[in-house]
Amino acid sequence: MSFSIQHWWLFPFLLTVFTGILCPAIGTVLIAHKRLLQVNLISHSVLPGLALALALGIDPGIGGVISGLVGALVAERLSMKRNEDFEAVMNTVLAGSLGLGVLMIPLFGIRIDLEAVLFGDLLTANLSDLVRTLISFIVFSFLMVFGYRQLVHIGLDPEGAAGSDIKVSYLRLALGFATALAIVSSMSAVGVILVIALLSSPTLLGLVQASSLRIAMLRASLFGLLISLVGFFTAITFNLAPGPLIAVLCVASLGFLPRKKHH
Amino acid sequence: MVDLRAENLSFAYESQSVLEDVSIALLPGTLTALVGPNGAGKSTLLRLLKGENQPHKGKVTINGKSLTGNCDQVALMPQRTSINWNFPITVEGLVELGRVNYSQPTCCDIAACLQRVGISELAERRLDSLSGGQQQRTLLAKTLMRPASIYLLDEPCSSLDPPTREQFLRIVRQLADSGLTVFVSSHDWGKSLNTYDKVVALDKRVLGFGSPEEVQEQLDSITCMGNHCCD
Repeated sequence: MSFSIQHWWLFPFLLTVFTGILCPAIGTVLIAHKRLLQVNLISHSVLPGLALALALGIDPGIGGVISGLVGALVAERLSMKRNEDFEAVMNTVLAGSLGLGVLMIPLFGIRIDLEAVLFGDLLTANLSDLVRTLISFIVFSFLMVFGYRQLVHIGLDPEGAAGSDIKVSYLRLALGFATALAIVSSMSAVGVILVIALLSSPTLLGLVQASSLRIAMLRASLFGLLISLVGFFTAITFNLAPGPLIAVLCVASLGFLPRKKHH
Repeated sequence: MVDLRAENLSFAYESQSVLEDVSIALLPGTLTALVGPNGAGKSTLLRLLKGENQPHKGKVTINGKSLTGNCDQVALMPQRTSINWNFPITVEGLVELGRVNYSQPTCCDIAACLQRVGISELAERRLDSLSGGQQQRTLLAKTLMRPASIYLLDEPCSSLDPPTREQFLRIVRQLADSGLTVFVSSHDWGKSLNTYDKVVALDKRVLGFGSPEEVQEQLDSITCMGNHCCD
C-alpha cells in the first residue's frame, strides 16, 4: 500500500491540531479586544473572494484571504465610527457579503460545495490546506512576538495606546489580516461558519481568571486542541462529520464555564 | 518647577463650539479643580492641555515655551470608562503600560507607583476583581509611571462613594504637596471643593477662577444675575 493510502489520516490530524491551537489563540485576542463581531464579518466576507477566485481560475484560498482582508478593512472602518448604529451596520455588511458570494456562484457559472465551505470537510484535507494553516500560524506568531505589548495596550486602553504613539489602526488591521488567514485556512477543518465556535468557546474557558493575555491564549489553545482532537477521533470512530461535531463540542464545553463573580 | 498656562483657547468639534476664549494658569505644587456641568468642555480642555488636540485659537505654554515638544512634561489620566476593565491583566500589568518607552524597562518603578497610591497589596489582582476606588487608584498609578511634572486627571472621582472619594483626594493632595501640579476635573460642586487650592469653573468659558471661596462668590453672582435677583 502507498504512503498516502496508509496515512490518509495524517493531514486531517495535523490540520486538526494546528486549527485547534490557532483559532482559540486568535479568538482570545479578539474577544479581549471586544471585536468578535468583526470575526463574523470577516468570515462571511470570505465567500465572494472564493467565488471570484474560482471564476478566474486562481487558488480560492488567495481570493478568500483578499476578500477577508477587505472585510477586515470594512470592519476597521466601521469600528472607528463607533456610533450607536455600528453593530447594525456591521451585521448588514455581513449579510450583504454572504449574499454577494451566493449570488456570484450562479452568475459566474462555477461550482462551490456550499456545505463544505460552511461546515468543512476535514477528512479530505490535503497538503495545501496544511501549508495554508501553517502560514497563518506563522503570521499570527510573528504578530504576537513583535506586537504583543502593543496589542495588550490597545485592548485595554485604545485612546491611551494612540497617545503612546502606537499605530492602533495598523495593528488592528494586522490582526484582521491574521484572522482572515486563519479563517480561510481553517475552512477545510471546521468550515467558515463553525470556525466562529472554535474562535469563541475555548477562548471563554481560557479567559477565566487568566492573569495575562498570554496565559489566556495558552489555556484557550489547550482547550481548543482538546475539543478538536476529541471531535476528530469521535468523528472517525462513529463516522460523523467532524466540523459540526467540533462545533457541538464547543457549545457543550460552555457547561464548564464557572459563574462569574460580581464585585 | 513647571507651570502650565492656557491663553485664550477656543476649540470646536466641526461647527459645534466647545471652548471659547479659555485662559487659566496652573502653578507648581497646586491642586486645582476643574468643575462644570456635562458638556462644559472639561475633557476637551484636558486634551488640549495634554497636546492630544490642537486649539483652533490660543496657545498652551509650559514655563513660557510652546507645549509642542514639551508634551512629556504632562500626563493625562483618562476617564475610567475608557478602560476595558475585563481585559485579562493584573494591576501590575496595567501600571507597567504607563511607561513612556517600551524599550526602557527601568524608566519608572512599578512598586513605587503602586505604593504611592496605596495599592501595593493589589499588584497580582485581576482588574475585574477591583472595586471602583481601587480601579481609579490603579489608573492613577499607571499615570504616575510617566515622569511628568503636571498631572491632568479626568473625572477620577466619578461613581465613587464619599469615603472612597475622600481617600482618593487625600492621595492627590499628597501628590500636589510633593511639588507636582495636579489638575482634576469633577462634577462635584460641593464641600469637597475646599480640598483644592484653586478652582476653575467652566461652561465653555471660564465662569470663575481662584480660590474655592472666590469661585463660589463669582458663581453666586452669576446665578444672581441670571435670576434677576439683583434688580
